[in-house]
Amino acid sequence: MDPEEVEFLGEKQLVTIVPLTTDDDYLKLISGDFGPFRMGMPVKVPLWVAVQLKRQKHCKIQPPDWMEIETLEAIKNEEKLSRNFTKMPSKFYMVEAKQILGCASDDISRADEIRTIIKDIWDIRMSKLRSSIDLLVRNNGASAVVTNLTLMEINSIRPILPHTLDQIRRMKNFKPFHGWRSQDTSFVSDSRSSTSFHS
Amino acid sequence: MDLELEDLENTIQDDDDDNVQLTSAELIEMMEEVWVNEKFAPEILPHKQEVVDCVLGQISYMEKNLETLPSTDFKKGIHQLEVDRIRFLVASYLRHRLEKIETYVLHILKEEEQRGEREEELYLTEAEQQFAIKYKQDLEQHFENATNFYPGLPFEDWKSHIVAPNMNSFVFLKAKTAVEGVVIDPSRDDDEVADLTVGSQMILSYNSVTDLVKKGDVQLI
Repeated sequence: MDPEEVEFLGEKQLVTIVPLTTDDDYLKLISGDFGPFRMGMPVKVPLWVAVQLKRQKHCKIQPPDWMEIETLEAIKNEEKLSRNFTKMPSKFYMVEAKQILGCASDDISRADEIRTIIKDIWDIRMSKLRSSIDLLVRNNGASAVVTNLTLMEINSIRPILPHTLDQIRRMKNFKPFHGWRSQDTSFVSDSRSSTSFHS
Repeated sequence: MDLELEDLENTIQDDDDDNVQLTSAELIEMMEEVWVNEKFAPEILPHKQEVVDCVLGQISYMEKNLETLPSTDFKKGIHQLEVDRIRFLVASYLRHRLEKIETYVLHILKEEEQRGEREEELYLTEAEQQFAIKYKQDLEQHFENATNFYPGLPFEDWKSHIVAPNMNSFVFLKAKTAVEGVVIDPSRDDDEVADLTVGSQMILSYNSVTDLVKKGDVQLI
C-alpha cells in the first residue's frame, strides 16, 4: 500500500477546527453532517476537510489533545522504557502529525519541537520493530501479534516481513522428492503473486 | 445524513433477517473495508456489488445536488473533493479485482465453475465473469498464434500449469469479533493456535483466516 493510501484512510479522523467565517448551514457530507460553522466556535470535522478549509484560510486547526510537548515527552519516555510497543494516543498519529503540522504549523505553538519529538517516537518504535522482526525470524515464528502498531508502521514493514515469512515457510515445506517440474511452476506463480499484490 | 439505503437493506435482508439500517457514513466505512480486504487478500474475494452500487448511488445523488449549489459557496469544493475521494475508493477496488482476474484468469474461472456446480454463491459479478471469459479467449488465441511459429512446443503441457494465488502468503489483520483457536499454519502438522480478541492485530498466513475474512469476522489491514 502506498503511504498516501494510509493517509487517505487516516484523513477521516476527526479534528477540531475554529472557523474564521460564519455559515449556519450544516456541511452535509456523504460521510456525515458537520457544523454549524460559527466564527470562533470550535467544531469537529474530518482531517481532510480541516486541511482543505485551512488552505482556503477559512479556519484555524486546534491540535489534538496529545499533540503537545509534555504529553509527547511522556509517551516518548514510556516508549523508551517499555519492551513492548505502547499504545499510541491515535492510531493515525503519524498521518495527523504530518497533515496538521504541514498545513497549520502557525496555529500550533512550538510546532518544530513537536515535530522533532514525534519523529523521535517514530524512530524508537521503528528500531524496536526491526529488532522484533529479527527475533521473530530467528525464532522461526509463523505469526505475531501487532496490536499496538499503527497502520503506517505496519505499512512500513509490509514490503519485507510477509515476504520473508513466506520464503521461510517455503523452505521449511520444501520436499526434494516432490518432482522438479511441479516445484518449478509453483515458484513462478507464487513469486508473481507476491509481486503483484503485496505492494 | 440518515438515509435509509433501501437497496442495500434489501440485499442484506435476503441473506439474514436482521433489519439492517445503514447510514451513508457506515456505508462508506464498509466500502473502505471492502477495498482494503480486496487489496491484501491474495485471492479474489466474493464480490460486493451491492455495496458498490449503493456507494455509486450516493455519489450521483450528491453530484446532482451539487449542480444546484452556487459556485460561490465554499462548501462546494469540499463536496466535490469528497465525491472524488469516494470515487477513488470504488475505482481502486474494481481495478484490484480486474488485476487479479487478469493474473489468475484460468484459476478463477475454474473455481467459479466449481462454485456454480455446487450451487454456491459466485465470487465474480456478471460483468467480471464476461470480462474473464473474453480475456481467457483472447489470451489463448494470442498464445496459439505466437506458438504456431514454433511447432513442437509442448503447448498443451503448459496449459495444465495454472497460475494460482499463493494462499499461504502472510497478511496483517485486525479482529472485529473475538475468535478462538485460529490454526496458525494449516499446512504444517503442529496445532499451534491463536486466540483473537476484539481489536487485536496480527500477522498470519492467509489460509488460516480465509473464512474469517469472507465472513467479516476479521479485517485485513
